[in-house]
Amino acid sequence: MNRKVELVFEELLFAKDIEAFLCHELELLDARRFDEWTDLFTEEGYYWAPATIDQEYPTSGVSLFFDDVPMLRTRFARLSHPRVHSQIPASRTSHMVSNIVVGKRDNHGIFQVTARFEMLEYRPGHAQRIFGGKYEYQLRVENAGELKIVLKKAVIINCDDVHLPIAIPF
Amino acid sequence: MTQYTSDHILSLVRPDQVHRDVYEDPDLFDLEMDRIFGQSWVYLGHESQVPKAGDFICSRIGRQPVVMSRHTDGEIYVVYNRCAHRGVKVVNEECGNTGRFMCMYHGWTYDTNGDLDFVTQSEGYPDFEFDKVENGMGRIARWDSHQGFVFANLSAEGPGLEDWLGENVDFLNDVAVSAPDGEIEVTGGVHRYLYHGNWKMQVENLIDMYHPAYSHESSSAGGGRQFSRREGDKGGIQFFEKRGKVKSMDDLGTHALPNGHSWQGGLPPVENTSEDHLEYVASLETKHGPEKTKEILIKKRHNVIFYPNMAMQELNPHIRVIRPVAVDRTEIFIYPVKLKGAPEKMFTDQLVNLNRTHSPTSLVQTDDVEAFARAQEGMLTSGNDWILLARKGPSEEFDSGRVRTTGTSEEGMRNQFRAWLKYMCSDVPI
Repeated sequence: MNRKVELVFEELLFAKDIEAFLCHELELLDARRFDEWTDLFTEEGYYWAPATIDQEYPTSGVSLFFDDVPMLRTRFARLSHPRVHSQIPASRTSHMVSNIVVGKRDNHGIFQVTARFEMLEYRPGHAQRIFGGKYEYQLRVENAGELKIVLKKAVIINCDDVHLPIAIPF
Repeated sequence: MTQYTSDHILSLVRPDQVHRDVYEDPDLFDLEMDRIFGQSWVYLGHESQVPKAGDFICSRIGRQPVVMSRHTDGEIYVVYNRCAHRGVKVVNEECGNTGRFMCMYHGWTYDTNGDLDFVTQSEGYPDFEFDKVENGMGRIARWDSHQGFVFANLSAEGPGLEDWLGENVDFLNDVAVSAPDGEIEVTGGVHRYLYHGNWKMQVENLIDMYHPAYSHESSSAGGGRQFSRREGDKGGIQFFEKRGKVKSMDDLGTHALPNGHSWQGGLPPVENTSEDHLEYVASLETKHGPEKTKEILIKKRHNVIFYPNMAMQELNPHIRVIRPVAVDRTEIFIYPVKLKGAPEKMFTDQLVNLNRTHSPTSLVQTDDVEAFARAQEGMLTSGNDWILLARKGPSEEFDSGRVRTTGTSEEGMRNQFRAWLKYMCSDVPI
């Protein structure tokens, strides 16, 4: 193999790694393994779902979700509370991801990854819902070669609609 | 539609009970839209949402679409969102800025005060004299504002805004004075949520300090406190005392005002030593001196209800607008309130906290929404037609007509139903 082919091959392998990581991440949500999902974030990581389609910053207005890691832990602790009335019975979800595009690594070692997604959500007794839109990830390779989430941004196309309660991240 | 007599409507409300029909009957809902939302002052928006000439926001009064705009004369106008020609809704964006409103159907245009501007191919109306105002989109009967809060009224009859607000005027003044610049701004976007329940459930819930420990137990952690709801606060609302005993909210007090308005006493003050809070306190002290600042910082009220469609909170200040859609469907809009002149970070922290408490993904109000939907379902049962609103405690009445009683009293709700009856039986003196 000449050097150029090797590089392309490396990139392909990395793209496959990213895809596997995203599938794993979403599987953790669907399996309600929320603590492990939260562990995928760096300590200073954030999960953000804007409330408008072109929201520039998480603090330029209100958001559907804008959680740091401690808040994610508080959120998920509540979901396992025996009297979390709005989640009894609990929602089931099925996340799908596609159109994954892996960007170049920046000076801080962060990769931009974008993808399209759909999340089906069904809470027994309620109509099934479909949420879908675009993911924008900032991922970083940590010491042990492990991928971590610096930021996961999920823009659902109906983010500015009037919503019934939403319990599970997109 | 069922024709209700005032006698029948009166029979639905007892001194400490209401009939389930008031939440479940679609005909009564239609009547509420005519008689409550058609006769009461209704909160519409804040002047800061339309700062420049040509700015507009669309809203509803009951189910009727209206536009609130800032005209070229600098004044606010509230007009029906309806073309004078064939009834088409003219403005289709939620907000924006424009020189003219144009109807999509036949191209009629209107000035930003709703006056008729131009009729296309007008030679086709040889027998018709167009009047700018008469054939405009149609101004609603009345609108007025206090501290920039714009209220509208579809009826020309009845009290003026200040009379209708009563002591709630003091609250709007208190909110404004708590901003170092002396005024507020509505600029932080909006949380929107929906529930499958009657609109009155949300209005009642906001004056209900009996429910939090039970409905919101899952949002409390060790020590029986809810997570902190303001950056820098040392702890959140206390739900439980030792050994899981529910802490009574009676001491907060409930204040029931004329016209269905009400408020709860403020939550116990929590120490806040964050840099931004201290900077905020310092800027208030510069303007008002330490004594007045101390007074400003003590929140005298928690939820303040402007019956029928608005409520405000001073903790993470925000405006909550209640929009009835159908007898069993209600939309809620939460607008963060920015205290002008306060540190920017205080506002962004406030936004982050509102995401946690008032968004559709909230850790708190999602359980209220669940309660409303289950109440709407539970009330379908015919075994017991009556909803109990009988909780009470010692009370005293002031000259203004305000009644102060215990925090978990259901006086606030009984008071709402007294106003409800007044509007609903508007042909009968109560």
